[in-house]
Amino acid sequence: MAWFRSLFPRRRMYDDLSEEIRQHLEEKIESLMADGLSREDAGHQARREFGNAMLMEERSREVWLRPWIESLCADLRFAWRQAVKSPRFALAAVATLAIGIGAQTAVYSVIHAVLIDPYPYRGAMRMVHFHLYDKNPFPFDMALDGQQFAEFRRSPVLDGVIAEDKWSMTLTGEELPVQIQADRTSSNAFQFFGVPALAGREFSPSDPQTVAVLSYRFWRSHFAGRMDVIGKRVQLNHQDYTILGVLPQRFAWGGSDVYIPFAYSADPQRIASVYARVRAGVSDQAAEQALQPMLDRFARETPGNFPQNFRVHLVHIHELATGRFRGVLTILFLSVSFLLALACVNIAILLLARGEARQTEMALRKALGAGRGRIIAQLLTESLLLSIAGEGCGVLLALAGVRLLRQFIPASLFPSEAVIRINLSVLFFSVGVSMLTGIVCGVWPALRAARSDLRQAADAGSHKLAGRRGLQKSHTALLAAQLTMTVLLLACSGATVRRLSQLVHADLGYDPHQLVSTNLTLSEGDHHGWSDRVHFYEQIRKMAAADPGVISAAIAENNLPPSIIDSAPISIPALNAGSNAASKFAADHVVPQRVSPEFFATLRIPLLRGRVWNTPEMAHAAHLALINQAMQRRYWPGSDPLGQSFVLNHGVASGNAWVLVAPGNNERYQIIGVVGDTPNQGLDEQTAPAVYLPYTMITYDWFNLMLRIRGNAPELLHTLREQVHGLDAGQSVGDLVTAEDMLNDDTLGRERFIAGLFTAFALVGLVFALSGLYCVQSYLVAQRTREFGVRMALGAGRLHIAALVTKTSALAVAAGTGLGLLLNLLCSRTFADWTSGNSRDPQMLGIILAVLLVAAVLVSAIPVLFAAAIDPVTALRAE
Amino acid sequence: MTPPQAPGQRDLFPGALEMMVLQSLRRQPMHGYALVQHIRQRSNELLQVEEGSLYPALQRLLKDRLVKAEWEISATNRRVRTYRITAAGNRHLDREVSRFERMLEGIHLVLSPAEAE
Repeated sequence: MAWFRSLFPRRRMYDDLSEEIRQHLEEKIESLMADGLSREDAGHQARREFGNAMLMEERSREVWLRPWIESLCADLRFAWRQAVKSPRFALAAVATLAIGIGAQTAVYSVIHAVLIDPYPYRGAMRMVHFHLYDKNPFPFDMALDGQQFAEFRRSPVLDGVIAEDKWSMTLTGEELPVQIQADRTSSNAFQFFGVPALAGREFSPSDPQTVAVLSYRFWRSHFAGRMDVIGKRVQLNHQDYTILGVLPQRFAWGGSDVYIPFAYSADPQRIASVYARVRAGVSDQAAEQALQPMLDRFARETPGNFPQNFRVHLVHIHELATGRFRGVLTILFLSVSFLLALACVNIAILLLARGEARQTEMALRKALGAGRGRIIAQLLTESLLLSIAGEGCGVLLALAGVRLLRQFIPASLFPSEAVIRINLSVLFFSVGVSMLTGIVCGVWPALRAARSDLRQAADAGSHKLAGRRGLQKSHTALLAAQLTMTVLLLACSGATVRRLSQLVHADLGYDPHQLVSTNLTLSEGDHHGWSDRVHFYEQIRKMAAADPGVISAAIAENNLPPSIIDSAPISIPALNAGSNAASKFAADHVVPQRVSPEFFATLRIPLLRGRVWNTPEMAHAAHLALINQAMQRRYWPGSDPLGQSFVLNHGVASGNAWVLVAPGNNERYQIIGVVGDTPNQGLDEQTAPAVYLPYTMITYDWFNLMLRIRGNAPELLHTLREQVHGLDAGQSVGDLVTAEDMLNDDTLGRERFIAGLFTAFALVGLVFALSGLYCVQSYLVAQRTREFGVRMALGAGRLHIAALVTKTSALAVAAGTGLGLLLNLLCSRTFADWTSGNSRDPQMLGIILAVLLVAAVLVSAIPVLFAAAIDPVTALRAE
Repeated sequence: MTPPQAPGQRDLFPGALEMMVLQSLRRQPMHGYALVQHIRQRSNELLQVEEGSLYPALQRLLKDRLVKAEWEISATNRRVRTYRITAAGNRHLDREVSRFERMLEGIHLVLSPAEAE
């Protein structure tokens, strides 16, 4: 056992000491008895001469103590007893901190991963794409031919340039062809990105054209993540490519499945879009200015590839990915910071109120000889214990929160490169902030206690005539701040929920139920004759329509509404004749949609006037058009549009190797009918004037097949794939997307997510504010119980007492709410810009106010009723 | 709370008891009770050391490794904890004694009236 005891040297030392002192006394007694004293007298004398044995033993022990550890242990034990004694306080503090830290860390981690640092690429923050703006608000994507690209690469303001041609390709050589997303990038691409391969290697300029690098996702889904794929062949569009390597998970440029080298041909029509990295230290503006003259020259050389009188504009890739979501995320971050602030204020209120309630205890400790340092150390230990417990739970909550968010964020909201994981720096930040709050507010009462003396404190303790003015003031301010933040959070939540409900109930103009859509893309160079291509498309449409599970089938160039569709310039000769109207409509644009005649019946878009062109008219590309109501309202508000004509794209139908123009297409159309509006600028924007044209007028090498169906979609897809395979063995069919899924995921997913998150924040914020209110009031009541007793004994009514309790808090609630509303109104414009939500709707603000006030009244009812029910006799006797 | 002054320390300056203990132990190892007796006899009963105050002093010496202690059986067949002075204790004692002597000399010079001027 000796070795075991040696683990506890101090314990052994203490035992030795006691034993030694006992032996000393005994020896002394024996020698006194030998001198002739009785045992009793000898005992007395021995102890007298020895002095206070307990004290001496204590002193002897103290020699060995490392005092701060001893007192820390004592403080910890005391703090633990305090927490157990008032579990509600401890739980409230820990839960508040945990939620504040957890929410802040989780949300900021997501924001950091999605917005601030989503890309693994070298110098990602300087990576740009080029938009060309003319008068039209919709930009053109800049695309260059081979010679231009070579020159562009040499620009001194750029640090690396790649050309890219993203396209669907067909994976052939298997049972059924599969459509995949291929990214043909210039051979310097991987040098440009600077991300090493996960396995194998990437291609470089020295490699032949027939090599491929797989994306991680495609490698997992199609090759089950097997390592032996490297060196194997994969057949794309009937051509073999050697697999060189696999990219890491985070490399998801363009979301493509395969990356293959892209080579410019001598053909100036062969153009590709361009990405570049701006040289470090060069501002966007400087780069734009340096590139503009070069691009102007390119535009003179190949006018078909550039708009007229354009300005180049750099778009950073993270802007492309997150776009308008950025504003929402910023507000989200602000909100969650409010939440952390609310949590800290709550902790402050809790600790201050408690510290106040313990002033008597502090004074007593001081009177018994505890130094100022000891009292501070003890209170500090208590608040740190609570902080650390809260922070521990907060870290766990943050981990869970990040997981939860990762599951619930619609994938379309962030670049696929983003890896959402907990962000350590923000975790440290929020833990630090809350700990600081704990320290400051925990020690504050000790500092105050150190200044006061026992008499004062004992007076305060026994008479409790009134709460201290200063404390009331600080509580009122803290409460008001809480309510201000809560009002702002509630307003955010209200606005997002309202917007969501508006979008859910928005008029789609068509029936999404049992409507599906799929994309078919031709292999490059297939069906390159106009009539052949139109015939092929129509064959597929007829075949699909003949399926017993399909009610009707239509072809459309664009995706299902409400996707955003680019517009094209229009002129209306009849209206432009008048000089006034000419200026009014001169620079107008409308949304052109190229569809087959079945489109309207399939989507159930109502035909309001006139007729739809028929199949023969479509087959020979008759210049007939339908317009939507928005178009009629704009150009023919009181008159009949039927028979009117208009010219699109300045009368030039531009085609190229992939886009085939109908023979004789002069872009002049006659209006033969009017249909209902469907949103074409997104769900929340006003429908723009639109024209519907036969898709045969300009036929792309891909189309969307839209089907109104009876049965279920997956079965149908398989039949469709087999049928199309029978028609053309190389033709693949994309996935079927139901209109309802598309609406729910892509369109509403984001809004639903945001509304959910804001509402959760607002509710948590509300709970914090209410618990703050409750805490302030109940401490007030506890502190003034005796005073209330005296007042009641002197004849004060219960109503009067209730009013006394309510007064301060009511002031705080009113001030906080008022300030919150004011701030909300001041910020509503920014809020609207960032989230396209309306935070100043009076009805919504009314509801918020009502919720807040009712909740506040309910919460304060408990302490107020308690105060009003004080029995003067009990209250006065209690001290 | 200021600790009430121990009566035993009132008459001695800090470190004096330790010095006497070390000096006693240099002569021969002893246990606590014997130390008290020894100091009392050597001072001709002039120094009435409160017995208990010996123990904190002994613990301080133990902590600083100036003495070491071991449980032994005494001549009177009693289980006692015997203290021995260490080499460090010897050095410490020499240092302390010479410092003490210089101090005493100083005090003596100040206090003797004949050599005042």
